[in-house]
Amino acid sequence: MIKRTYDWIDERLNITPLWRDIADHDVPAHVNPAVKMSSFVYCFGGLTFLIIVTQILSGMFLAMYYVPDIHNAYYSVQYISNQVLLGQVVRGMHFWGASLAIIMMFLHMLRVFFTGAYRAPRELNWIIGVLIFVVVLAFGFTGYLLPWDQQAYWATDVGANIAASVPIIGPYIKLLLTGGSTLGALTLTRFFAIHVFFLPAALLVLLGLHFIMIRKAGIAGPM
Amino acid sequence: MSAEDSKDRIKGAPRKRWVNRKMHDGREPFFPNFLLKEWIAGAMFLTAFMIWVINNHVHLGSIANPSDSTYIPMPDWYFYFLYQFLKYFPGPDLAWGTVAVPIISILLLMFVPWLDRGKSRRPIHRPIAATAMVLFVFMSIWLTAEAYQQHQYEVSGSAGGGTKSAAGGLPFAVSHPTSTALLNTSMPGYTVFQNTCSGCHGTDLKGGFGPELLGIGNEATSSQLLPVVKKGFNPNMPPAGGLTSSVQIQQVVDWLATQTQK
Repeated sequence: MIKRTYDWIDERLNITPLWRDIADHDVPAHVNPAVKMSSFVYCFGGLTFLIIVTQILSGMFLAMYYVPDIHNAYYSVQYISNQVLLGQVVRGMHFWGASLAIIMMFLHMLRVFFTGAYRAPRELNWIIGVLIFVVVLAFGFTGYLLPWDQQAYWATDVGANIAASVPIIGPYIKLLLTGGSTLGALTLTRFFAIHVFFLPAALLVLLGLHFIMIRKAGIAGPM
Repeated sequence: MSAEDSKDRIKGAPRKRWVNRKMHDGREPFFPNFLLKEWIAGAMFLTAFMIWVINNHVHLGSIANPSDSTYIPMPDWYFYFLYQFLKYFPGPDLAWGTVAVPIISILLLMFVPWLDRGKSRRPIHRPIAATAMVLFVFMSIWLTAEAYQQHQYEVSGSAGGGTKSAAGGLPFAVSHPTSTALLNTSMPGYTVFQNTCSGCHGTDLKGGFGPELLGIGNEATSSQLLPVVKKGFNPNMPPAGGLTSSVQIQQVVDWLATQTQK
């Protein structure tokens, strides 16, 4: 029954080559920790992806309760922490996961750098990786404001003022970020929209490109 | 490798000809062989992460107060290096710190594949690139540590400033009431407060080294205040604020809960 359903779908969409390509490609020995323990450094990229997946999932659950407006944002976060079943845990995952994603991504970047894996033909993928780094830092910056507590508010205020100090275009960048002369209702909704719509879209596209390029070029050989 | 792969593929069938494979060179198929082993690493990683998350509750400070400009701000730790870096470009030089150096750094990082074009990939054979990255890592760690220490110093040096709170802020928001008269001064908690707590929170509840407590009764009941007072605020307020008798703690908390100045 399952096989017939699969065949029916496969005849129409020809999905076998897609997943066979992912499943059947060889993983070389020099990146396999099961062969040589010191190859664990090659796990950092995969672990970064794993933690990004948990960020997406915990973020989706937080969005069920979070209210992006200045009167309720703080109290909705308080409600998540104190009232919602496992709310403290899910918020904790999202909060600590942000730091962990950045740490793992940094370690992954160092691994790629010190093994020289960015050499031809993988230059483009290195650039995509740097862009992913920038997007993840933007996630951190926009997400930090959302609890709307003192720390969030004043840290973002400093960030906005740093942006405003850029010569010529600085004030416009700040206006674009905060939506007004001071941090307020518009800033919060903007940061929320950037954090949950714009940046995830950018991140998923970049990650897709990152993985497709890894499959195209393969993992860099032993040094 | 891909040409070899297609030779191994049985025409018209999804599986490959496993018999032709050199099975002992350490290579293995991604799925399921490699992924199942990789998943062990992933599961251990996630377990450690969840243990950390459950044991480290996320703090929520007091609600944002745009009129309280005395709060000492700090970004999240992964921006410390940038924040600290900017401190070295005061006044008119700030543009170097906010624009020039970060943009040049990002561009350098992006175009590393074109800057470092030797044959060997071993770090020892490309000393400039390797040294630059090691220096960058050490600089980032140093700037992060420096930012952290300076922030700790600023927070501990902020005595006497109303709502300037210790790192992390307060569990309750206090909204500077316009009426400042103390209420129910005949309660026993008032005397205990004046003898012990007023040193930091002020005899008039307006704060000092510790935060303002006027109107705290609007924000919290005595049963909500009790665990907060008992726990204290490390390192500025010892548990129970130095009170040793649970009767006195209860008296202070009961009195504070009646301070409903508007």
